[in-house]
Amino acid sequence: MLDVDELKARFLHLEFDSTNFVIDRDKALTVARMSGETRAELTDPSHPDFQASPAIIASLAAGRRLPIHFPELGGIPMDGGKAVTCLAAVKPGVPLNGRTHLHDIYAKSGRSGRMIFLVSRMEIRDAEGKHLATSDSHMVIRERPDA
Amino acid sequence: MTIRNIDDVEFGAELPTFEPDTSLASVSQFADAVGWGAGARFKDHALARKEGLPGALVPGIMAMGFLTTMIHKWSPAAHVERIDTVFRAPLIADEPCVLTAVVTDVDTDTGVVELDVSVKNEALETRVFGTAKVRFR
Repeated sequence: MLDVDELKARFLHLEFDSTNFVIDRDKALTVARMSGETRAELTDPSHPDFQASPAIIASLAAGRRLPIHFPELGGIPMDGGKAVTCLAAVKPGVPLNGRTHLHDIYAKSGRSGRMIFLVSRMEIRDAEGKHLATSDSHMVIRERPDA
Repeated sequence: MTIRNIDDVEFGAELPTFEPDTSLASVSQFADAVGWGAGARFKDHALARKEGLPGALVPGIMAMGFLTTMIHKWSPAAHVERIDTVFRAPLIADEPCVLTAVVTDVDTDTGVVELDVSVKNEALETRVFGTAKVRFR
């Protein structure tokens, strides 16, 4: 069984990915409209404050899911949830950069064994380095007994 | 009642429920737009079942989109500053769902309201739940 405190000491807050993005305007519109959105800044590209919705920000994926030397935990990773913090408008069509680190690691034990929870946090910035948004991904892995 | 500013928000108030479009056509378009449309998981019930799923799924982040929409419909002055969702169980495309939210904190000094949010299926089983932090401008 892996030592969660040791994992934290080795990997917590360690940046393991940097990925560049440009959110496509039409895709941002589709995501907003299929979500039922009617607010003009999310559905009208001519609006002066046209911006991406939290749902499409949550879809931005790092090039790696975990740090390169992170140990194998076994089991199938499940998407446990997402969180988005909006600090400023994220505009479609402009260059963005997402830097990702492990923000939290914790375990919960139950009758069927131990589950490891990994929270990776992507900080999304514009070309000037302004922090626009943060996207958290919660990954849940049922630990293999021999891991 | 339209919520025009934070003074209109009452602690414990429930937001008007929202029943979004979970049709497979809508889910499929959403999945394509976020780059998840390559497999059957979000696009085809029969093929998804062959993968061991209960049917084609609504992506968890689409539920996040529905919840954000519900908050925007509640108040045109509300800006979703943070939305945090836990994907508890699958939400199936073409099956109705209902979104609910309740005000759990109102801070008139900072202009911030906190909500507990959830997405339930037709059997009223919670599929997605979470919290939202909403700022009034």
